[in-house]
Amino acid sequence: MREYEYHAPLSLERLFELAEAEGMEVRFLAGGTDLMPRISAERNQIPRDRKPPMRIIYLGGLGLDEVTDDGESVTIGATASLSALLDNGAVRTKLPALHEALREMAGVSVRNTATIGGNIMNASPAADSVPPLLVLGAECLLRSAAGERRVALSEFFTGPGKTVARPGELLVSVTVKPGRGGSAFRKLGRRKAETLSVVNAAACVELRDGLCESVRIAVGSAAPVVVRCTGAEQALVGKKIDENSVREAGALVVKALSPIDDIRSSAWYRARVAPTMVARALLAAAERKRG
Amino acid sequence: MSQILRFHLNGNPAEVMAGEAETLLDTLREGLGLTSPKCGCNRGDCGACTVILNGNAVKSCTVLALTVEGKSVWTVDGLVDGERAGEPEGGESPAPRSLSGHKLHPVQTAFHEYGAPQCGYCTPGMVMAAVAFLDRNPSPTEEEVKDALSGNLCRCGGYKKYVQAVMAAARGEFDPLPERSGRNV
Ligand SMILES: Cc1cc2nc3c(=O)[nH]c(=O)nc-3n(C[C@H](O)[C@H](O)[C@H](O)COP(=O)(O)OP(=O)(O)OC[C@H]3O[C@@H](n4cnc5c(N)ncnc54)[C@H](O)[C@@H]3O)c2cc1C
Ligand code: FES
Ligand code: FES
Repeated sequence: MREYEYHAPLSLERLFELAEAEGMEVRFLAGGTDLMPRISAERNQIPRDRKPPMRIIYLGGLGLDEVTDDGESVTIGATASLSALLDNGAVRTKLPALHEALREMAGVSVRNTATIGGNIMNASPAADSVPPLLVLGAECLLRSAAGERRVALSEFFTGPGKTVARPGELLVSVTVKPGRGGSAFRKLGRRKAETLSVVNAAACVELRDGLCESVRIAVGSAAPVVVRCTGAEQALVGKKIDENSVREAGALVVKALSPIDDIRSSAWYRARVAPTMVARALLAAAERKRG
Repeated sequence: MSQILRFHLNGNPAEVMAGEAETLLDTLREGLGLTSPKCGCNRGDCGACTVILNGNAVKSCTVLALTVEGKSVWTVDGLVDGERAGEPEGGESPAPRSLSGHKLHPVQTAFHEYGAPQCGYCTPGMVMAAVAFLDRNPSPTEEEVKDALSGNLCRCGGYKKYVQAVMAAARGEFDPLPERSGRNV
């Protein structure tokens, strides 16, 4: 059977020493809600091929869970739990789309351990925190022994389970500049709780004199990565956000998608419901701006 | 390979060898012989393995055991009143007791009185999810209770009675809810 190592470093220096390990698969562990089921499944199977030892590095001892708000931007530490973020005042008032997503993610007992960094780094096309963070213009701070770099979330994902982060590179935090826009998130799951999205959507709308000045739309679980829908965005600029305009914009969304059939839904159904989820997110975002 | 793990279990110090990739659920059940947390799915979906970690309900099959070093874990085994409650009084329906004759937590009493468990497999997880929730929110609405139990599946399908029973426990229909009774330690 495969061998495992476990380390719980208390400093980043130590972490980066550990992260450089020849001939091992290095895995960071935050809440474990994605990783542990995978490890348990692997341990319960007769191994087909020889896998290198896995070095598990626990991130809970590093104090990377702080949320700071400097008035202009909100920075969320990677190991902040979804529950802590749901209770956070800055997230609730300044990042309503993210707050709505957190409320619909899993259930309380998963949210108590699951982290936002894990949700991003797991890079599932169905990750619910990603569409809100995308429309809010989030930026990721990555760090490794070689130094730090910032990457826009819009350029972060390269495929299902894949990001631009290099092996051994740690997601430290994600920073969002809320700006003037109103934002909202809508999720369609197979049931209300403890389920991944069939399709989800987030929108962020800025209005001037009642007309749409700028808008960002993101749809998840309908392509290999969460996608921005620029065609639909352009079609809305200068218009009133109402039932008609969001329906027209919704129809354009499908062009940006390449849904697949999987255990949660069919490609056909995803393409049918994505416009509706986008329309709902848009109306809610615009309403939030007015209200 | 394994490492030594020291933590607080039901208010007492505990020490056990835990494998480097082992779940908290496996350590509790196999390392410590505490079989009240159940394994329904081993992948975070069902909630049968729910325990209270540092005051929060968590699914112990998604927690790597060694990460609970120095933390506090509670299972249903820690809920019973420290003192033996003595012989149940006679009468129509004597107050339910644990197998060891101890007094139950009001949530347990309510589950018993409302006939919520059927096969009982999901029950320890339901109890811990409900206790962690009531510790935080002692006078909830029914919607809030449903939300708190949404991560706990019951294959027998007895959801309604579980929710009714938690509401009854919150109302103090049996014993009053204890203070957070140290489950944060
Ligand atoms: C029952 C259930 C329901 C769920 N429901 C939802 C849902 O509704 N919506 C949703 O989006 N997700 C859902 N999930 C998935 C999961 O809970 C989330 O993706 C969660 O946020 C993962 O965080 P974690 O801390 O548990 O990650 P972990 O499992 O600890 O890590 C996940 C991956 O990210 C890597 N990683 C973690 N942190 C970092 C970091 N800081 N830097 C670099 N790499 C890192 C790990 O190496 C690993 O590969 C659900 C899971 C379960 C079990
Ligand atoms: S056994 Fe842990 S959630 Fe099912
Ligand atoms: S009582 Fe049988 S699973 Fe809930």
